[in-house]
Amino acid sequence: MPLFTSSSFLRPLLPAATALLLSGCADLLEFSPNDYRSPGDQQDLTVKNLARLQAAPLPPGDTLRFVFTGDSQRFYDEAEALVKSVNQQAGIQFVLVAGDISNFGMGREMRWVDDQLRKLSVPYLTVIGNHDQVGNGREAYQHIFGPLNYSFTYGDTQFIMTDTNGREYNFNGHVPDLPWVQQQLSDNAARRQIIVSHVPPQDEDFDPAVRDGYVRLLREAPRLAFELNGHRHSFSIGQPFNDGITYINSDGFEKNQYVVVTVWGDKEFRLKHVQF
Amino acid sequence: MAAHLLLSALLALPLASAAAPLGPDTTAHAPAQTSTRLSWYRPRHLVLQTGGGLGMVAAGAGYSFWRDHADLDILVGYVPKKYAGSTLSLASAKFLYSPWVLSVGEKWQLRPLMAGAYFSYTHGTINDEERGQYTKDYYWFSTDTRVGPLLGSRVGYALPTTTTGRSRYLSAYYELGSNDLYLISYAQNRKGLSPADILVLSLGLKLDF
Repeated sequence: MPLFTSSSFLRPLLPAATALLLSGCADLLEFSPNDYRSPGDQQDLTVKNLARLQAAPLPPGDTLRFVFTGDSQRFYDEAEALVKSVNQQAGIQFVLVAGDISNFGMGREMRWVDDQLRKLSVPYLTVIGNHDQVGNGREAYQHIFGPLNYSFTYGDTQFIMTDTNGREYNFNGHVPDLPWVQQQLSDNAARRQIIVSHVPPQDEDFDPAVRDGYVRLLREAPRLAFELNGHRHSFSIGQPFNDGITYINSDGFEKNQYVVVTVWGDKEFRLKHVQF
Repeated sequence: MAAHLLLSALLALPLASAAAPLGPDTTAHAPAQTSTRLSWYRPRHLVLQTGGGLGMVAAGAGYSFWRDHADLDILVGYVPKKYAGSTLSLASAKFLYSPWVLSVGEKWQLRPLMAGAYFSYTHGTINDEERGQYTKDYYWFSTDTRVGPLLGSRVGYALPTTTTGRSRYLSAYYELGSNDLYLISYAQNRKGLSPADILVLSLGLKLDF
């Protein structure tokens, strides 16, 4: 057959066919961009990373040291560079990403970020951001990462991770979940507490109906060291409510900068900026 | 349920068209010859596919033109809640051009390359911009509307010709595509992402009738 003696017809298909073989058909047969099916090792990442963290426990009294960053959304080149930089830091126990893991709320984006961050030599933990809730993102996040509100204790510190993306719920008056936050803050098992969320309470994307209540809960928590936020893509530290509570905002991945947070004593802490 | 009904209706279409010429002839005004020319709006084929971001199952009908070198297909797709968090229905349109339509032996037909694009609209997403929820351009992209390129191949097997003498094929195809948001992600991250990361595969069947 003369038509098969010429390979010119088939040549355009070669790159596509190769890619197909490399990545396997199952992942490629996507039902929708909202389809969140993931390979087993990219499900329940919060539980998996917490298990990794607890496998190297921090003895009581030891200094806590972690990398704080946020807003990895659509910055995959930067994520790769961040991982290389963090892996060169000595004495880091884990990495915190303050939400907006994805840009479009799609499961595949969350897996792309994990493809990079799983190369970290330490575990990483996330809190959900507003971009992670676009479309069916909230469901994708829960499938791939885990709960929207969760808390864990490492060494002397209880971390309280909470969803503060009120606008994504059209300001329904229930986000953040104040009773849940109050319950966590009233847990006095750990020496100190750090609360982590995406949208800071002074932001216009925080539900105004629960702002005062949230700020009051933090003010009245005697062991709270500070709050960590993302969303603004720009580092800041201050006490926006002049009530003694410090709020620290992370840079976005695109700023090629993160902070190393060192915490000791009751509430003593130091920040070190690292460029990558 | 809606998808099942749709599928049944589509499967019944060729039966209806086959049955038409057997109807009473008393009202026929034109000679039988003219019936070999199909009306322009009658679909030329039925389509059933999976993947491609257009549904776990997507079914529809389409038209062929430019001497069967181009197809325009309209599909309705379905994604169950357990795979996406909510039950999704998708309406999509695909246009594919085949530069070469090759006969292989008496029974087979090969389209080694099909190139085109699709448009899709998803209904049923959970967080879908209620009125007043966001300020203008808060999110610059659409949650529900996607467009993207397609590249694929198709192989057909000849079926008996229709009563009007049209040749018919049952064909199988694959298409590799992507969407606007995946493409933007890759374009801005050539190191952090690879082309394989943004590919989406469709597998489907097409039946001329």
